[in-house]
Amino acid sequence: MKSVRIIALKKDRKRILEHLQDSALVQVKTGREAEEGFRRSDKSSQRKQFERNAELTEQALKILNKVSPEKKGMLAGFKGRREIDPDEIGRIAADSAKVIGICQKIVNLDKQRADYAAEQVRIKTSLAQLEPWKKLDIPLNTKDTATTAVLIGTLPKPYDNTSLSEAIAKEAPDLIFEFEILFSSANMTCICLFAPKKQRELAEKALRTYGFSQPLNPTSRTPEVKAKRQLDKSADIRKKDEEAEKEIASLAKYREKICETQDYFVLRSEKYKVISELDQTKHFFVLNGYVPEEDCAKLEVLLTKAADCVVEFEDADEDAPVKLKNNKFAEPAQSIVSMYSAPSRADIDPTPILAFFFYFFFGMMFSDAGYGLLMIIATAIAIKVFKPDKKMYNNLKLFQYCGVFTVLWGLVFGSIFGDAPLMFYKMFTGDDSIKTMQEFLPWPTLDTQKDALMIMIMSIGLGLVHILVGMGCKFVICMKQKKYAEAFFDTGLWMLMLCGFAVLGVGIATLPILVTVGAGIAIACAVGLVLTQGRGKKGIIGKLVGGVASLYDITSYISDLLSYSRLLALGLTTGVMAQVFNMLSNLFGTSVIGIVFMIIIFLVGHAITIGLNALGSYVHTMRLQYVEMFSKFYEGGGKPFEPFSTKSKYFKTKGSKEE
Amino acid sequence: MDGIMGMFLAIVAAAVATVFAGIGSAKGVGSAAQTSMGVLSEDSSMFGKMLVLTLLPGTQGLYGFIVGFLILINCGVLGGDMPTLGQGFAFLGASLAIGFGGMMSGFAQGKAAVSGITMTAKDEKNFSKAMVSITLVEIYALLAFIVSLLIVIQVPNLTF
Repeated sequence: MKSVRIIALKKDRKRILEHLQDSALVQVKTGREAEEGFRRSDKSSQRKQFERNAELTEQALKILNKVSPEKKGMLAGFKGRREIDPDEIGRIAADSAKVIGICQKIVNLDKQRADYAAEQVRIKTSLAQLEPWKKLDIPLNTKDTATTAVLIGTLPKPYDNTSLSEAIAKEAPDLIFEFEILFSSANMTCICLFAPKKQRELAEKALRTYGFSQPLNPTSRTPEVKAKRQLDKSADIRKKDEEAEKEIASLAKYREKICETQDYFVLRSEKYKVISELDQTKHFFVLNGYVPEEDCAKLEVLLTKAADCVVEFEDADEDAPVKLKNNKFAEPAQSIVSMYSAPSRADIDPTPILAFFFYFFFGMMFSDAGYGLLMIIATAIAIKVFKPDKKMYNNLKLFQYCGVFTVLWGLVFGSIFGDAPLMFYKMFTGDDSIKTMQEFLPWPTLDTQKDALMIMIMSIGLGLVHILVGMGCKFVICMKQKKYAEAFFDTGLWMLMLCGFAVLGVGIATLPILVTVGAGIAIACAVGLVLTQGRGKKGIIGKLVGGVASLYDITSYISDLLSYSRLLALGLTTGVMAQVFNMLSNLFGTSVIGIVFMIIIFLVGHAITIGLNALGSYVHTMRLQYVEMFSKFYEGGGKPFEPFSTKSKYFKTKGSKEE
Repeated sequence: MDGIMGMFLAIVAAAVATVFAGIGSAKGVGSAAQTSMGVLSEDSSMFGKMLVLTLLPGTQGLYGFIVGFLILINCGVLGGDMPTLGQGFAFLGASLAIGFGGMMSGFAQGKAAVSGITMTAKDEKNFSKAMVSITLVEIYALLAFIVSLLIVIQVPNLTF
């Protein structure tokens, strides 16, 4: 990584920034104060406007997707962004005002629909309130006539004709009255009571003792008319709502334009973000940034061609970001490294090592030639058909390489869709003399079930190699930093000790002489560790105790090594599950129906096996890298390189280098 | 009689391995799935990540099933010879490891998965950290599985 300083005339600012954005070569330094004699131009209000517009388009797209969902294939996620001509951006810019208008319209229509929905709820409640009064054929707010008092209201208890008249008579024996019960339920009775006008007070008093209350919002229309009006209103609103929905749907044809416009505004706001970081004077400006070392020449050519400018490079400072750069084989695994953390400046790039072990262990766990082949073919087709963006392309490539190793390990373990070849052979020839895939296949293979112990030892052996490679990296890093004590005593001795144990293990199985050799190495290393590990402590006793205590680390190495037994476990899981489904599919015999069932069970069963075990293999390989290997040397914590680029979601300009 | 008893024990062993490990996974995946559905109700675009985290406690059941299956193909139900009484007991002993190891680690991994899911819901960048942390629990199911496995494949060679 290099620091770069670009000095150019202000009139060329637009052009230079556009070139930088398209080429995505430079990360602009942010958060610095302007140098003395320079000014910053504050573009935050324009930027806010662009961001608001981008947000508006996002809102509009969301509404469109709700109203008329885009028809997308299941595999559309693989698809790369559309490529457009640089000139087309001009057209998008010219249309942007119109498109923003459309977005605004969509958002407004959606707001209206929300209001309609709220209104519908209001109508529904008012209808529910009117429901008990349905039988009343005079308005709820009917006033007294010349001679008769009219009392309309509710009582909080259930009554029928007899019980109510009894109740009133008891409270006011002199009252002359007539009433009608309109509705009665467990906690409410709606009544309409008539009495002579001069007895009104008496009637009111009597009713009040039973908790009489008048309706909440009396109207001058009969409840029936009122309900009908509400219903009409509701229908009207529903119609309006449908119209609004239709109108939104009719705007769905602008979806692509809205997407483009969103990208355009994101692009603009990115650019203005950079402009705010430029040191400027009246006539020229200075841009400070980082550029990967290998791109320096390219950048210089690009800029000097574009405008008159000065490009200066110097060694990057402490805060410089890190860009991983690897060959084609290792590049797909970069995403795995960056998921953990970008390497710090002290680290070496672990990607090549990680890539190999990732593919290798994935293959060993998934270990089926048939599945591996499917992975290779499927990813190849996806790459060919969808022309995915760089990131998706790398993910597909990752699985393709994993697929290659899956095939290899599948051949080693004699597993091709489980024992499918053998099963079909038996089924159609009736030859029962061959019992296992190991006998069936012409090349020598390992049986995950019968040779489990051996494969477990092999797994742990591979684990030892993996860990030793990790420690080797630590050794190299320490040597580079000239920390020789750390390199030889803390890492080297442990590596030697692990090797000693390995020799000892091999010796137990084969040559007795190796046992002595291995034990000798291990003991020598142990002595070395006791002598050196306490070197930071004070006093001879402190040093010795520190040294002896460090031997306790052996437990962590043992648990790390045992962790690799998952290579066997997951490999076996794939094989056995495949075998189980083969067995199930075989149950129905060779009749026509039997074969139909066989095909269905075979396909579904293997799909399940692939899904579950590919997930398991992916997760566990990752864990082996992160927990077992990275813990030996990798620090991480670096900042990933994030170049000034278009950051677009839907289109990319032709020839742009951006990932 | 010994043969029948041996067979009975072997079948019980297959059941123990499958059922108890299955209980662990069912509970683990169940609680993880509940949490992830809560997250998905807010943001359905995280389905892929949620699915991965939800499925992580599912392996215990798989291991139990495989031990069960290996017992069945070695005890005369799906192949192999009828086991002796001693072999039957050996199968049963083997199944206990993955049965209970799987069950308890399934519970624990389920809890870890729930936390991992909420962590990922807050920030998608936490996904890989959550994934690795959840997998840390799995080693104990794996160790149980390997012990069961090593016994089961040796049982046909036992003579008592």
